[in-house]
Amino acid sequence: MQTPTPALAFVSIGNLSKDYAEGDKKRTIFKDMNLEIGRGEFVALLGQSGSGKSTLLNLLGGIDLPDAGTIRIEDRSLAALTESERTRFRRRHIGFVFQFFNLIPTLTVQENLLLPLELNGLTTEAEQHRATELLAYIKLSDRRDSFPERLSGGEQQRLAIARAIVHRPLLLLADEPTGNLDTATGERILELLLDLHHQTATTIIMVTHSHEVAARADRALYLESGQIRDITR
Amino acid sequence: MTPLLWRALLRHPLRHPWQLGLSILGIALGVAVVLAVDLANASARRSFELTMNRVTGHATHQLVGGPAGIPETLYRDLRVERGFRFAAPVVTGYLPKMNQPGQLLQILGIDPFAEGPFRAAITNPTGGSLDLRSLLQQPDAALMPPALGAAVTLQRGHQSFTLKSVGVLDGPEMEGLLITDISTAQSLLGLSGRLSHVDLILPDGPTGERLARELRAWLPSSFRVENAAGRNQATADLSAAFSLNLTAMSLLALVVGAFLIYNAISFSVVQRRSLLGMLRALGATRGELFLGVLGEALLLGIAGVLLGGLLGLWLGSGLVQLVTRTINDLYYTVSVREFLIDPWSLGKGAALGILATLAAAWLPAREAANAPPGAALSRTHLESRWQAAVPRWVFAGLACLGSGGLIFSLSDSLIAGFSGVFLLIFGCALLTPPAVVYFVRLNQPLVGRLNLIARMANRDVARHLSRTGIAVAALMVAFATTVGVGVMVDSFRGGVAIWIKDLLNADLYIAPIGVEGGDHAEVLQATTLAALRTTPGVAAVSTYRRASTELNGRPVQLIATELAPAAQAGYHLIAGQGTTAWRAFQTGESVLISEPLAYRQRLSVGDALPLMTADGLHQFTIAGIYLDYGSEHGRILIQRASYERYWRDTGIGSAAVFAVPGENLATLRARLQENLGPLQPLMIRPNRDIQARTLEIFDRTFTITQVLRLLAILVAVVGVLSALSALQLERAREFAVLRATGMTSREIGLLVSLQTGFMGAVAGLLAFPVGLLLAAVLIFVINRRAFGWSLPYHFDPWLLLETLTLAILAALLAGLYPIWRMAHTQPADALRAE
Repeated sequence: MQTPTPALAFVSIGNLSKDYAEGDKKRTIFKDMNLEIGRGEFVALLGQSGSGKSTLLNLLGGIDLPDAGTIRIEDRSLAALTESERTRFRRRHIGFVFQFFNLIPTLTVQENLLLPLELNGLTTEAEQHRATELLAYIKLSDRRDSFPERLSGGEQQRLAIARAIVHRPLLLLADEPTGNLDTATGERILELLLDLHHQTATTIIMVTHSHEVAARADRALYLESGQIRDITR
Repeated sequence: MTPLLWRALLRHPLRHPWQLGLSILGIALGVAVVLAVDLANASARRSFELTMNRVTGHATHQLVGGPAGIPETLYRDLRVERGFRFAAPVVTGYLPKMNQPGQLLQILGIDPFAEGPFRAAITNPTGGSLDLRSLLQQPDAALMPPALGAAVTLQRGHQSFTLKSVGVLDGPEMEGLLITDISTAQSLLGLSGRLSHVDLILPDGPTGERLARELRAWLPSSFRVENAAGRNQATADLSAAFSLNLTAMSLLALVVGAFLIYNAISFSVVQRRSLLGMLRALGATRGELFLGVLGEALLLGIAGVLLGGLLGLWLGSGLVQLVTRTINDLYYTVSVREFLIDPWSLGKGAALGILATLAAAWLPAREAANAPPGAALSRTHLESRWQAAVPRWVFAGLACLGSGGLIFSLSDSLIAGFSGVFLLIFGCALLTPPAVVYFVRLNQPLVGRLNLIARMANRDVARHLSRTGIAVAALMVAFATTVGVGVMVDSFRGGVAIWIKDLLNADLYIAPIGVEGGDHAEVLQATTLAALRTTPGVAAVSTYRRASTELNGRPVQLIATELAPAAQAGYHLIAGQGTTAWRAFQTGESVLISEPLAYRQRLSVGDALPLMTADGLHQFTIAGIYLDYGSEHGRILIQRASYERYWRDTGIGSAAVFAVPGENLATLRARLQENLGPLQPLMIRPNRDIQARTLEIFDRTFTITQVLRLLAILVAVVGVLSALSALQLERAREFAVLRATGMTSREIGLLVSLQTGFMGAVAGLLAFPVGLLLAAVLIFVINRRAFGWSLPYHFDPWLLLETLTLAILAALLAGLYPIWRMAHTQPADALRAE
């Protein structure tokens, strides 16, 4: 697979700064940080706890706003969008996978999978068929009417990943998707993500603590002291 | 909103059926109380209209006189001399059925030949064979409803009269009505040669006005021509303040209900903060979540309204009996007791229920819409935001209290009074979360000496302020309402008890037997009075005559009295100097008026009081204002000789007897019975009996208030169950962790009980001062504006204990289900469920 070049930047971060108030003090997360990610890239994001990995995903997903700087996704500046426009952009073009799965406990397996399609008005038969195929692909067809609480951790994360890509987002943001799973299950989840990446060429940014996992990405980035550096070998 | 989004939100309440059921029950109870009171008021009003309309018929005007009605000769002159054809004589009044003093029947005496255009629809509703002339063909004949059978025996004083049915009056509006000819009605009611009034039909427009003017010019000055509809309205208005008070009480129940709805919905939002965050992360917009939560509340509201509607109908059919009984006791006689299902009331109840639900859900829905995407907001973050908001709560609470006080001082209307009450309640509710934090801090040194569980229980209440603050506020409002109303009723009763004891300071009271049945026309005979004054053991006698008159178009009671010196001491003058006032009163040109009359008509000592006498308007001077709870519309006390002179009425309705010091009252009573009994059938009763009867009527009047108060308590208890059990159920995972760590079920049960008990205690403790404040407003503002009474303020310290115990018990009860559930769930299941 060809590694995209930054010249064709799909995600572009310029002079990004973000602070958090901690009591009376200010904690700097990012300081004038710059980053470009190409379309179809699979990027692993590493860093110590508290280095700002999840914050960066939240900023890219438009669920948090920077104090300064710009974030552009496919030439659209997130800061220039209104809250409602950001929500609609996220709904259509971004998929989220969380460490703790975050499935909707009040919806069944199938309903969880269909939710992004419905929210985006993608209710054609073809889309429904794709959801059914995806369900078979993650081997949960026979659990379609179960509620998430009845699934194992691995099953829940498979469903979460399927839900994140069912509407063909441009960008998939995964926050330690294997962090809450045993090694074998984590490995299977990673295989699933890589497989989906190859099949759909979705841009993926995945937070991880594991250098082995990072080694299988197109690029590995390390967050430290408010800056980011490329550690791809 | 997509169907899946709806499903994601709505399955939450469905998965918590207990919470759902209690929320619906909370709304239902609030709606039921409002609806029941409104239906009861509407039914009473409708019954009154039926009672009045069946007598008024098509009459546009009425020719009326003073307390003794009008002489028959005036009617004859009207028809013969004036040639006025559209006039019909009426003799009407109420008599009880034999041996059933509570069941009053309305007598309507008519002239069948003059009736034609007046009451045709009523006396011949089917247009069929009912022949009014049959009333004239047989003695003691009457038209009566089928429920009374073929004959009915009535009682007036010691006399009984049996009427035979010669025709049937069909329809619910005919309940309790007897139609007879004029002379039968006169003999039944003791109005020989007199008429109650003469009905007139005058044409609309200038011709009618001219005719009315001519009639007024022709009539002697003691008679008036009045507009019939206006006269009925003036009577109906008598109970307006009573109805408004009931409505306000019922709205108070709805406010308590709305607080509980707010509590339930905001709870469900807080419980779902991670769900809402996930939905936001997936792209649900703020508007969608706002609509979703509001839609969910709407569904709850609809379910609550439907259930509340059924409950309200059931409750209303019971309340209408209490309302009409109170109206009969205090205002005017309503002999129709139909329960009317007024569609307007149903619509109003439903709309209020839905609006209250939506208003209560508004803030939680906004909170839901503002949930940050991705479940980023931790519980700690949420709670710290609440803690930081405490100063703002204090400020908003004080602002509400200030606005409430401002409204009281700026306007003296009753509606403004109630608006102020609601602002006060709201302000106190806003101050509750800060108070909870304060109580927790206050409790810290105490629990610091106890074990870990007690320390955890105490700390958790402040830590979960987003939930506990609202729950305690809702409970506080509910209990404060019951305290406030309870203190008001107790204070009122205390005031009435002292007043009646002072006022009825004679030893024995004598009246003709008919007075008991409401017949104030019956009088003590002159021979009876003479014998009374000369009976050994009688030191002094006061006499009374009650009549009705009007002041500025409103009916007031006129009490003509000759007071024994000792009886004067029973009147507490609140304006006017004692000796001077009584001296002026004795001249007959000055009167004393009761406090409600002075308040309502803004009268002061020294003002002129124009009263319609037998010789036309005469100006009296107000010499003093006295404390009186006997009539909210006011009384005028006038010297007996003056009354006789101006109203030409020498009758005496009752007498009070002061015994010679040392005289045995039982002996004196027996002696009076022996001396006076053969002259006239009398009731001779000691003052204690009358005092007890007054308090009995008072208690009966407040039965409905107590019923509403009990309902508010019920709403409160449902609220406690709903709020606290939801709070504890939400902590299932936390408890599972504690159990996994080694805490026993019993210890967790203790933790839950300590927490719920503490919250109940805080709600109870706060409810007491707030309830006392509410009582003060009800007593000094609302009652004053509604009825013109100044009441004493006193409360029973036991009420504090009662409220506290009830609040703690209800709170402990609320913990039982979560404890039971926790004890029957494996910790692993609870951990996994999260």
